[in-house]
Amino acid sequence: MHIRRLRALAVRLIGLFSREKRERELAEELESHLQLHTEDNLRAGMTPQEARRQAILKLGGVEPTKENYRSQGGLPLIETLVRDLRYGLRRLTKSLGFTTVAVLSLALGIGANTAIFSLVNTLILRPLPVENPEELVSLSNVVENRAFPAFSYPNYKDFHDRNDVLESLIAYRFAPLSLSHDGVNERLWGYVVTGNYFEVLGVKAALGRMISPDDDRLPGAHPVAVISYEGWQKRFGADPAIIGKSLIVNGLSYTVIGVAPKGFFGTEIIAAPELWFPMAMQAQIEVGNSWLDKRGTEYLFVQGRLKPGVSMAQAQTALNSIALQLEKEYPDVNEGKRVMLWPPGFMSGVMRSALLGFTGLLMVVVAFVLLLACTNLANLLLAQATERRKEIAVRLALGASRLRLVRQLMAESMLLAIFSGAFGLLLAYWLVGLAVGFKPPIDVPLLIDLHMDYRVLIFTCLISLATGLLFGLLPALQATKVDLLSALKDETSFGNTRRSWWKSSLIVLQVALSLVLLVGGGLMLRALQRAQTINLGFNPQNAVEVSFDLRLQGYTDARGRDFQKRLLERVRVLPVVQSAGIVDLPPVDLHFSRGAVFIEGQPPERAANAPRAMTSRASPGYFKAMGTRLVQGRDFTEQDDEQAPPVAIVNETFARRFWPNQDPLGKRFSLGAPDSPMMQVVGVVQDGKYAGLNEAPQPYVCRPLLQSYVGTNTVIARADTDPQKLLAVVRNEVQQLDPNLPLASARPLSERMALPLLPARVAASIFSVFGLLALVLAAIGIYGVMSYAVSRRTHEIGIRVALGAQASDVLRLVIGQGMMTVMIGVGIGLSAALLVTRLMKSLLFGVSATDPLTYVGVAALLTCVALLACYIPARRATRIDPMIALRNE
Amino acid sequence: MSDKADVWQGTLALMVLKTLEAMGPLHGYGIARRIEQTSGDLLSINYGTIYPALLKLEQEGYVKPEWGVSDNNRQAKYYKLTRAGRKQLEKEAREWEQTTAILARFFAPAKES
Repeated sequence: MHIRRLRALAVRLIGLFSREKRERELAEELESHLQLHTEDNLRAGMTPQEARRQAILKLGGVEPTKENYRSQGGLPLIETLVRDLRYGLRRLTKSLGFTTVAVLSLALGIGANTAIFSLVNTLILRPLPVENPEELVSLSNVVENRAFPAFSYPNYKDFHDRNDVLESLIAYRFAPLSLSHDGVNERLWGYVVTGNYFEVLGVKAALGRMISPDDDRLPGAHPVAVISYEGWQKRFGADPAIIGKSLIVNGLSYTVIGVAPKGFFGTEIIAAPELWFPMAMQAQIEVGNSWLDKRGTEYLFVQGRLKPGVSMAQAQTALNSIALQLEKEYPDVNEGKRVMLWPPGFMSGVMRSALLGFTGLLMVVVAFVLLLACTNLANLLLAQATERRKEIAVRLALGASRLRLVRQLMAESMLLAIFSGAFGLLLAYWLVGLAVGFKPPIDVPLLIDLHMDYRVLIFTCLISLATGLLFGLLPALQATKVDLLSALKDETSFGNTRRSWWKSSLIVLQVALSLVLLVGGGLMLRALQRAQTINLGFNPQNAVEVSFDLRLQGYTDARGRDFQKRLLERVRVLPVVQSAGIVDLPPVDLHFSRGAVFIEGQPPERAANAPRAMTSRASPGYFKAMGTRLVQGRDFTEQDDEQAPPVAIVNETFARRFWPNQDPLGKRFSLGAPDSPMMQVVGVVQDGKYAGLNEAPQPYVCRPLLQSYVGTNTVIARADTDPQKLLAVVRNEVQQLDPNLPLASARPLSERMALPLLPARVAASIFSVFGLLALVLAAIGIYGVMSYAVSRRTHEIGIRVALGAQASDVLRLVIGQGMMTVMIGVGIGLSAALLVTRLMKSLLFGVSATDPLTYVGVAALLTCVALLACYIPARRATRIDPMIALRNE
Repeated sequence: MSDKADVWQGTLALMVLKTLEAMGPLHGYGIARRIEQTSGDLLSINYGTIYPALLKLEQEGYVKPEWGVSDNNRQAKYYKLTRAGRKQLEKEAREWEQTTAILARFFAPAKES
């Protein structure tokens, strides 16, 4: 029976396409029926006319029969839909200008939303490329309500061995690598992982085998590595002979045992390491830093797989009872430590809230823009629908149902939405391509795999349909709620205040929204401008930096010192170079160091309460090369070496805070612990920025590299030549000294500013782009509504002109009406902006969130644009010829 | 469509099938006429209603139309019972008999009690 029904449905569907043939056959069949019946009737003795008439009567009428037949023949619902769509298409192609504007503005909105959604999709929705990713949890240490995703190896072991809520527990750590193969040296990033890592994640080798627990038994005894699929392709041309090949990593030879599957980069969503090593090789990978036996060294990310039926909360409770045991057993390192579980993928929650906040903000912004595009279209459609008032009234009067008319109007807006969705998808595709091409200025392999999958497609379809409903339904309902009598009499209803209220509020909303976005963009631009004048404490122009890590290349301290000395000598003798120096941690970087300060004669109550200062280590000439002004005393010299008494250079804030109104030169203090060796202040340099551009002045200490060696170095060289040329010669000197030394970075010093300015730049671009977009949309909206208002008031204006109104009166009338609405929008927008921009404080580099210049400027810009948008229709109004206008009615 | 019409359509379809079984291939007019006659003119139908019913049967594959020539040399569309139609008729006839038998028991004068 059901099969029969399906068959019938299929036949009817096919019937949709053969309507004409069916109609013809039906006509013939009914005609033959009538003839047969008529003949019978004639035989029964009727007159020819009567015979035919009776036959038709008995049939029940030809047309009604056809109508009944038709509704059985095709699928009437689909047929009317097709007819509506065809009609809508015809109307859209007729008013091509309107269609273009509508599709473009909607496509912009949908495209932006799709692009941002693909980011959300990557960060939140797409599962990690491991087995049953929903069972994975990330562990965080919590001390005094502060979560930190790092564990020591012994603590990890204990959690691993003692718990009964997790299938297993893995640990891993990022490590910088220096890879040598086939005579090439490269710097890249990898993971050291516990032996059960791949097993627990359920990741199978694409080639060879993965690291197993057997590769993680004896410290230092398992020199094997797994390479990522992408690294294998990029660096080794997908050579299958890679298995068994040796790679020199951080000075030691490792055998490649396997290639990881395509697209697997570990369990942190945005990081893309290329090599995996067994945890047993930790001390060899992190040269000279062995910590697997140290319970106090917390370097490991830890993740676990929940046992079936165990909830995250239950697991957390169980793990915390282990944390309590560990606290009792090792109170000195584990005091107050608790465990918290997070969904995996964001460095265990540390970056989670920041990333989610950022994408959340983006989502809100693009949703705003889409809302603007929608209100705009609703406005234009409303204007159109009101022009069709008479047509609609006629059809209603002739008995068309309101539902039927609404459906027809909706078909048109749905068509618009579908076209816009398609264009929006293309636009998003392009935007995502741009975003993927963007490389943030940091030395970590970031991977934001923004490909558009089926979730993104579904999202785009849904928001396209939703926008279609949003901007289509209201005008359609409004348009079909017609007072038949007045519409048919062609009366323009002056008294229809409700509709104009609704239209004005749309304008108000648009103006307010674009004002908020533009104020945000304006503030960010002001902040970037302000950032140029921030006292950095160094001069980023006319200098270059080259960074490397001697430790990773296996340099001993003595060889490292020698390298640093010879490099500086070579760079300094270059004719173009004015000054050069080496530092371990250059300012405004992701990495910085802070240490406790113990001033001689000013002991703190407890060591934990000691004041802290930013610290770094530098060679002689570093401050000169950076362009940092020496305020007092002297720079380091070659004589400030291990044999000489320890010395230090501090900044002005340091001197002022610890020795107010005293001469800091010759004063002594120690760093790190009260009993560390005392250092004597030999110089004071100007204040600067150390961790970020937004920080308040903070104390800073610099020690001589010669007295406290470290192998992570950045060479700074200053010269009045083209930075790129300077860079080439400095790099050349480094490579002549050690051709195998990989460079972590080599760039003009000015590029250093890219990182601290990045959030502000991103925010400024986003706000400005969307703000301008919103402004354009608002202008279109105002223009549309005002043109419509003018066309509706043609009659009234005609009378006014006939009664002697001048062009200027008409201009004032129309512009006054429009600008009234705009000004309300500006007022609301300004208040909203005051509220919203408070959230941006941290990005503003000291520019006030209520910066009057920005607010006045943006309001003025918006008013001008609105004025223009009103002026064009107003001009048209002044050209109304009263004769024509009055005859028209 | 109301439920009543559904019932009517179902019954009409059954009558059409039965008529075709009894008479062999027949055109719409012939079927309508025959149904009226068989009912002893108790049933007076609009002949037009036969056509949507025939179309539905055709869509379900129970009848097959074919243009042919009538006794008095007129072109007419003849409907023929298919094998599926014959089966369906048997099934529905059986169901119908059952239904009427049950209803008959309800309406029969009570003999016992």
